[in-house]
Amino acid sequence: MTSTPQANRSSRPAARRPVPWQALLDAAMLLLWGTMMLRFAVTGKLYLLLHPDYMWLAYLALALLLAMGIVRLGQVGLSYRQGRAVSFRSQEHIALLPRQLSVGLLIAIAIFGLIYTPRPFASETAFQRGITDVLGQTRSRPQQFSLGGTSGDRTIVDWVRTLNVYPEPDAYQGQTAKVTGFVTHIPGWPENMIMISRFVLTCCAADAYPVGLPVELPAGTAPPAADTWLAVEGRMQTTVLEGKRRLAIGSATLTEIPEPRTPYEY
Amino acid sequence: MTQLNNGITLFFSLLIEAMPFLLIGVLFSSLLLLFVDEQKLLTVIPKNVVLAALAGSLMGFMFPVCECGNVPVARRLLSKGAPTAVAIGFLLAAPAVNPVVFWATWIAFRDQPEIVFLRLGFTLFIAVAIALIFSAQADMRPFLQDNLTRLMGSPQPAPVEPEVSPLLRSGTFLMQAPGQVLQLDAPPAQVMAQATTVQPPLVARLPLVVDNMVLELRELGAVLVIGSAIAAFVQVAIPREVILNLGQGPVTSILAMMVLALVVSICSTVDSFFALSFASTFTGGALLAFLVFGPMIDLKNIGLLLTVFKGRAIVYLFLLAAQLTFLLTLVMNLYTG
Repeated sequence: MTSTPQANRSSRPAARRPVPWQALLDAAMLLLWGTMMLRFAVTGKLYLLLHPDYMWLAYLALALLLAMGIVRLGQVGLSYRQGRAVSFRSQEHIALLPRQLSVGLLIAIAIFGLIYTPRPFASETAFQRGITDVLGQTRSRPQQFSLGGTSGDRTIVDWVRTLNVYPEPDAYQGQTAKVTGFVTHIPGWPENMIMISRFVLTCCAADAYPVGLPVELPAGTAPPAADTWLAVEGRMQTTVLEGKRRLAIGSATLTEIPEPRTPYEY
Repeated sequence: MTQLNNGITLFFSLLIEAMPFLLIGVLFSSLLLLFVDEQKLLTVIPKNVVLAALAGSLMGFMFPVCECGNVPVARRLLSKGAPTAVAIGFLLAAPAVNPVVFWATWIAFRDQPEIVFLRLGFTLFIAVAIALIFSAQADMRPFLQDNLTRLMGSPQPAPVEPEVSPLLRSGTFLMQAPGQVLQLDAPPAQVMAQATTVQPPLVARLPLVVDNMVLELRELGAVLVIGSAIAAFVQVAIPREVILNLGQGPVTSILAMMVLALVVSICSTVDSFFALSFASTFTGGALLAFLVFGPMIDLKNIGLLLTVFKGRAIVYLFLLAAQLTFLLTLVMNLYTG
């Protein structure tokens, strides 16, 4: 498309050859996208975006993108040295968006992705998405799940799944609980109650949903700030919250921890 | 600020999850564009109109294309003399009934397998039904764009009486290889097809595959970016109560998702991830409506369809597909929800 009669006819002095901008932009777009995904993979931010089961797909995609970018660049280099214009041979395609707009948009997003650092969802979102210890209609309810070891090994989502199968809180009275998560404050709860919560992923961040367990703070403890990551250790008890009997972690010891590399549960 | 961060994280999550499938999709469609000969495929299509419609609908398994790639293929099928039922069945079903889309839908909705299988079932049912309705029209020409009907040539004359020798045909012929002739006054598309049977060698075709992949990726990638941005925006900017009110009604949720499908125009290879972001707030029927209706008709697609059909035919296609999708998914919402 950048071909001109002069370019096709001969190998004139280099200065007269048209620069194949379009092919170069395509190559740049592919390489930038590959690099952006590579950055997410290397910095571990991919864990904030995807379920680990599907990460190989992202690796495959980034390899393909980089490979296509390099092939494209090679084609441009080769034909430029030979003094030919790069010709695009594709039939059958009907463009919807103007070419420059598509390439521009894709390049802009890739550059943005190279600068921006994704952050995991936090308490505000958990509250907005309806945090609960009950799995709703559309939540993942595995046909079977195994709880290895003692009650102290259960994560928040293990507890919530167990509660869904057998919701009577008294059944868990006195069991040890040892979970990690971030703090969410629920409006209307007493001062000494917080929710320790996690997001659960089934496919990618688009379907992340929050789960949580109420925690009763020991007397005299100042409530930790929302979004603080905590390891909570205590004993299960039945607490009445908003007129409902709920399972809560009592006589808790709270330890502040750094945000984990994989902040979601699966 | 949190909202904005969430929105952007969601946006990148959708993009990164969808990009591998988009790449696989364009790889397949580019390979098939150059390696599959529809002419040969057409010779094995059944004569029975219902079977032909079904065969056309299932051809997506051989041409895994999304709704941007299927229009050119359907156009080529029509110009090469495919029965209407085959072309329409393919046009409507291929974007959803193909292995890549099935896999992507499975990954997104493996917790709700009914969505994955009903998507296939509903799409096939609607595609076959509409294909049958359209094939009741003996001559499709009035519905098609003029440049396509020119390619198809004038209607085939009634079959010549069997006793006449096949050698005794009138017309202008060019001598080809021994025993072969090229009829020059046959419909242009058929002449072209006969005259260019020689495919370029494999090595020459491989760069074409890369060219076509880059071309489609550029185009579909941009639409994916826009679609993901809309999905992320709806998730974080519209109050949850509004979405829940809309999304939990058996009728309103379906209508809302169908309008969204029409507007967002996201490629069928990756639309299940888009739908997934609504999975916790919308009814199952509404998600299915999005997944079934979106690949058949959307704003982007209408532009492409106009290269094949005249406006009137597109209105018929649109109305039939919309009504059938609405009815089927409403039944699902009312009786299973």
